[in-house]
Amino acid sequence: MSLRRDGRLGAAWIIILIVLPFIAAVIALGIGRMSISPGEVFDVLRAAIAGKHADSELIEKTVMQLRLPRIILAVLVGAGLSVSGCAFQSLFANPLATPDTLGVASGAAFGAALGILIGFDLIGIQLMGLAMGGFAVALTWLAGSGKDRGGLSYIVLSGIMIGSLFSALISFVKFAADAESQLPAITYWLMGGLDKANYRTLSLGAPVIIAGVVLFMLIRWRMNLLPLSDDEAKASGVNVRLLRGVTVVAATAITASCVSMCGQVGWVGLLIPHMCRMLFGNNHLSIVPASVSFGAVFMIIVDTMARSISAAEIPVSILTAMIGAPFFIVLMRRSGGWRI
Amino acid sequence: MSLLRIENGSFAYRSGPQTLKDINIELEPGEILAVLGPNGAGKTTLLRCMMDMLHWQSGRSLLDGEDIRSIPASKLWRRMAYVPQARSAAVSYTAFQTVLLGRSSRIGAFSAPSEADMKAAEQVMERLGISHLADKPCYAISGGELQMVLIARAMAAEPEILVLDEPESNLDFKNQLIVLDTMTALAAEGVACIFNTHYPAHALQRAGKSLMLSKDGRSVFGDTTSVVTEDNIRRAFGVDALIGEVETPHNVMKNVVAVGITEEKVPDAPCEKDKDILASVTVIMRSNERASLINSAFRDYNHLLIGRMGLPHRKSEKYIISVMLEGPAADIEALSHRLSLIPDISVKTTYEQEG
Repeated sequence: MSLRRDGRLGAAWIIILIVLPFIAAVIALGIGRMSISPGEVFDVLRAAIAGKHADSELIEKTVMQLRLPRIILAVLVGAGLSVSGCAFQSLFANPLATPDTLGVASGAAFGAALGILIGFDLIGIQLMGLAMGGFAVALTWLAGSGKDRGGLSYIVLSGIMIGSLFSALISFVKFAADAESQLPAITYWLMGGLDKANYRTLSLGAPVIIAGVVLFMLIRWRMNLLPLSDDEAKASGVNVRLLRGVTVVAATAITASCVSMCGQVGWVGLLIPHMCRMLFGNNHLSIVPASVSFGAVFMIIVDTMARSISAAEIPVSILTAMIGAPFFIVLMRRSGGWRI
Repeated sequence: MSLLRIENGSFAYRSGPQTLKDINIELEPGEILAVLGPNGAGKTTLLRCMMDMLHWQSGRSLLDGEDIRSIPASKLWRRMAYVPQARSAAVSYTAFQTVLLGRSSRIGAFSAPSEADMKAAEQVMERLGISHLADKPCYAISGGELQMVLIARAMAAEPEILVLDEPESNLDFKNQLIVLDTMTALAAEGVACIFNTHYPAHALQRAGKSLMLSKDGRSVFGDTTSVVTEDNIRRAFGVDALIGEVETPHNVMKNVVAVGITEEKVPDAPCEKDKDILASVTVIMRSNERASLINSAFRDYNHLLIGRMGLPHRKSEKYIISVMLEGPAADIEALSHRLSLIPDISVKTTYEQEG
């Protein structure tokens, strides 16, 4: 499967990228404390699509109410974080950029921690996360823009500053929290986990993530203009300010939605885009769809492990790093590195 | 009406003296304009202002008489293309993908390049002789090759005006020649080229018109022979230079040698070459491919012509043109220089002995 000159994916890759998440999802639906075979999973799904009830109520409830929303959330979060990481890396022409580069994840996490401190319910926590994530990026933009020269590097710098400001605020919330009940809740929430998934939280976060991912898929060829220097980009004849603005807004909205639903899930936004760049080069025609697919698969696998390795659920960001780092190093050594 | 004009362009950075003052240039299709000046005189700033990447503080740039600021970007950048300095270019894509990016203004926001776009990119690469680089990543090719890829990207937009920022800097002897020859060939096909350069010799050998910037904001614009002179080089660069000629069997090429740093201040008085003299020019062409360029040069200097003889040499299918001239020495020199810039022909001028 050699790379095509025009940067499009070959037919074999397209099939793999579409089928792989479905296979992963069906297998993951069967794994857990109660083991369900893929055949039974199919029966439940077929019955659900037809609007009927499956034979076993227990199996149906496990698949449809417990595991399915969680897997949908894994798909959305994995695809969303990967594609926003990919967009930010290109936007800043910096391989170390992550969805958190503009401080959005820290802001959203602060909002959620504050929500827990005040004692909001899940939806309230999610809304606080979204609002503070947006607020953090607005602050970054205010602090970093308005300069004649410098442009993007000012924004990256102020993003790092705003990010650490909100990290400090999180520490302050923890400090102020009740050590018996609230502090563990906040700490556990910050480590990330998809256990809060249900159709109600999904209905709030999913539309934003889906809209963002679809947008990136639509403008993916034009995203190739993102890493260009200012003058080069301007000379392309394309409205680059608009392109950059849309990229920032979409990636920020996706990240804030993800963090507000499942806490800070690190690594996905860095690991998956780089994996795709090593496999397919830098053309966004291929790395955007690849990031979406591989991000979803990676997150399904990691979350399935998080909920089934031990009796107590393991926070997902611990696993993303423990699986991600070695995997990344092997890939990097094999492919001989990459560049943005 | 000229293809591209700058009218009284002035620009200063917020913290600093006036960089550019009352710049006036004019450019026609197929002409090459060299922008010369010492470091810090504002060569790159001039190009950026001209293309409206920076805004003139007063004055304006006109494309076919229309203010560039009022032309929508997608339209402007189909007619004009920019080749940045290689070291400031993004290099993450393969050469082919980089060239394809030159088609951006013709590709919709939600679309990918069409077959026609791909074909156009392939053709440009073939025309510039870099097809073999297509699948190599730009960070893995040499500086000269990257410069050619960037020129190809610009040409993929099918522009009428090509703006090049120091295209031959940091290149070795051969690659400099490849880049300059490419520019000359594109101009011969009708593309107007503007390039910044550190080499006065390249202006003399390639450009019909030149703009020389000084650090104090003053500038001289005109035919290269009247701009790139020993006096002006002394004034703008503070360097004593000698302009000499190197003769090959086909051509006479001008060259500049720096002899030393100027010690005393130079008087401002321009020296004029307005004495009428006699001269003759002989041109030999291998085919009549360049005939229209030669004819248009003679047409523009019609007032100098006192006799003309064209002779196709049937046996070898070559052409000889011989022209007798009378007029101001500066005009004859300008015509002779213009002919010397046309590629693929042999041309020499003989001047009357003075005194």
